[in-house]
Amino acid sequence: MQRFNFPVVQPDPALEELRSELQAFLKEEREAGNFQPEPECWMASSDPEFSKKMGKRGWIGLTWSSQYGGHDKTALERYIVTEETLRAGAPVGAHWIADRQHAPMLIEHGTEEQKLDILPRIAAGECYFAIGLSEPGAGSDLANVKTKAEKVDSGWKINGQKIWSSGAHISHYMVAILRTSPADGRNRHVGLSQIMIDLSLPGVTIKPITDLSGDAHFNEVYFEDVIVPDDCLLGEEGGGWKQVTGELAMERSGPERFLSSYITLETSLYQLQGKLDSDSHARLGKLIASLRTLRGMSWGIANLLHQGVSPETEAALVKDLGNRLENDLTLQVRALLNDLPEEEWSNEMRRILNIGILRSPPNTLRGGTTEVMRGITARQLGLR
Amino acid sequence: MINTEGMVAETAAKIYTDLCGRAVPHEAAAGTYPQALWDALSENGLPLAWVSEDNGGFGADYDEVFGAIWVSAEAASPVPFAETLVANWLLDRAGIAIPEGASTFALLEGKTASVPFASTADHVAVYDAGKSEIALYKSADVPAGDMQALSPDGDVRLDFSGATPVSRAATNLSRRAVEALILTVRAVQMASAIEAALNMSIAYVSDREQFGRPLSKFQAIQHQLAVAASESAAATMAATQAASALARNADDPEKAWHEAVVAKVQIGHSVEAVTVPFHQVHGAMGYTQEYDLHHFTRRLWAWRDALGNEHHWSKTLGAELAVTSPDQIWKGVTTGAWIAS
Repeated sequence: MQRFNFPVVQPDPALEELRSELQAFLKEEREAGNFQPEPECWMASSDPEFSKKMGKRGWIGLTWSSQYGGHDKTALERYIVTEETLRAGAPVGAHWIADRQHAPMLIEHGTEEQKLDILPRIAAGECYFAIGLSEPGAGSDLANVKTKAEKVDSGWKINGQKIWSSGAHISHYMVAILRTSPADGRNRHVGLSQIMIDLSLPGVTIKPITDLSGDAHFNEVYFEDVIVPDDCLLGEEGGGWKQVTGELAMERSGPERFLSSYITLETSLYQLQGKLDSDSHARLGKLIASLRTLRGMSWGIANLLHQGVSPETEAALVKDLGNRLENDLTLQVRALLNDLPEEEWSNEMRRILNIGILRSPPNTLRGGTTEVMRGITARQLGLR
Repeated sequence: MINTEGMVAETAAKIYTDLCGRAVPHEAAAGTYPQALWDALSENGLPLAWVSEDNGGFGADYDEVFGAIWVSAEAASPVPFAETLVANWLLDRAGIAIPEGASTFALLEGKTASVPFASTADHVAVYDAGKSEIALYKSADVPAGDMQALSPDGDVRLDFSGATPVSRAATNLSRRAVEALILTVRAVQMASAIEAALNMSIAYVSDREQFGRPLSKFQAIQHQLAVAASESAAATMAATQAASALARNADDPEKAWHEAVVAKVQIGHSVEAVTVPFHQVHGAMGYTQEYDLHHFTRRLWAWRDALGNEHHWSKTLGAELAVTSPDQIWKGVTTGAWIAS
């Protein structure tokens, strides 16, 4: 019997205070012209200067110990920071992945030396990470990775290629899933390991890939006899598959899965106040009801994760619903804008809307495609 | 998740398990009213759960009772349990003595109103926003219009214009407060029915074989049910959020109105998104009276239309948001605070 577990968690006054601080900062930065808001900012808008400012304010590394430059807070504080920066469309792409994914990984699997060296730099907004999962022959079929790490005297020797690595061109490290020993017959999940690679090492070549809009935020990364020390193996040798799937499950229910295009809606609302007809009211009502519901689900999961519960099915459902909602949001805003003569649309409105349209295809791809998500859900429902 | 672990919900669960097995909704639809089920609910005082102690009830918390409503919808309750709870809530608020037996409710604007369980309930508790009053009618005194209901206990139109109430009392209860309660009750019933029908669909496709293997092994089937599961999860969230808002605003239910409307909008739209795949994966079997699926899908179709369909409520919510500041809307989305405090 399937019963879904989404607790309703009331707002916490301390968290709401943090929210106000964020809002004031983001408003000030935007008004000073320090950033132009954009949809999908966590993937496609990077500004190391902005990341450093966030670091100075203590808004990166919230979840880890001050011993490693963190701020001894929880994932709930981080949730508030992420949702406010998404809402503002702020350029948080440089530090996002390191803060969300790789710092927790280092805390769990890194050496003391690595933690002392790298974590404070991540928290300062100065050190960035790229994800090294996909390869030309390993997209949804991730277990098909071919890039190899071979044991040598001085550590691991890496040869092969990763692709679609967002932000690799400005990142200091990549954590890659690599084949460290052959598959066991048809079981390809064995023999994979996660290895942290310093991207400044000799033998690493990063080539930007330009997306359809002309932006270059993702990359191909080539490894030719790159040698990393032994301690760059994170976690268990051969245990990479389990680590990666666990990690993916954790990051599927965050606010970036349904709030990345909220800036498009909010910008339109400033333009459309008092101008909407009754069909548009219905669109707006439906859209906001969906956003409120998804926010409830995502926040409920964040609270479960905070308590050490890992609701994998619920997280996959949030990603599927959220990705669909994000694409629908942009469509609905286009419909709402019909209530305003086109010549009255602000340039800002048009810029944000168009960026949102151009950046929509990867929504339902990254972090697991819609089809992969539905396969995961089907398995959890007992259908596979 | 609606908590079904409280005393009220557990009592209801036991009664429904014992007295509302698979055959009971079928028999009720064919005309055999499950009196034993109603009597058990009544003997345990459950229909009075929201009635104050002064008025003979036990003043239970909203939360606990929503658990019982969830349980009743999961069993496709063929008796007006949730409806009697709502009727008694209204009567209690107006200080009207609670009548014996099953009741239903109506929101009256003018002469007629659409009323669920009109043919089985003994009484109708009517909230009339125009007159600011709550009145109690005997069902037998209110003529029913000729109307095809979507489900055996679905809404039919009653004409109150020539009927005299048994009792009436002025009320300062706002229309929004009443809507908050009724929409939340419907949201909880709908979310529960969606989940029950999802589980029924999962079981069916795991069992039914075509082309030499269970339907569940076909990716096209898996994906349809995965999408339905996401809608089911969202429905449960929306219902839980509304129930929680009411529990937090027990003294002033009007404050729970927005979350209740959000739930009706969200779940109202979900109904199409789930009933289509549920029926699709069941094939022609799901379209028969003999099979159980329609106990849920017909009720879902009836409930999504009751008291305004999803388009009505989307429009109502949107009209208000269209003149609300974007800052306040964001506050609503993130914290549920839809009105400036």
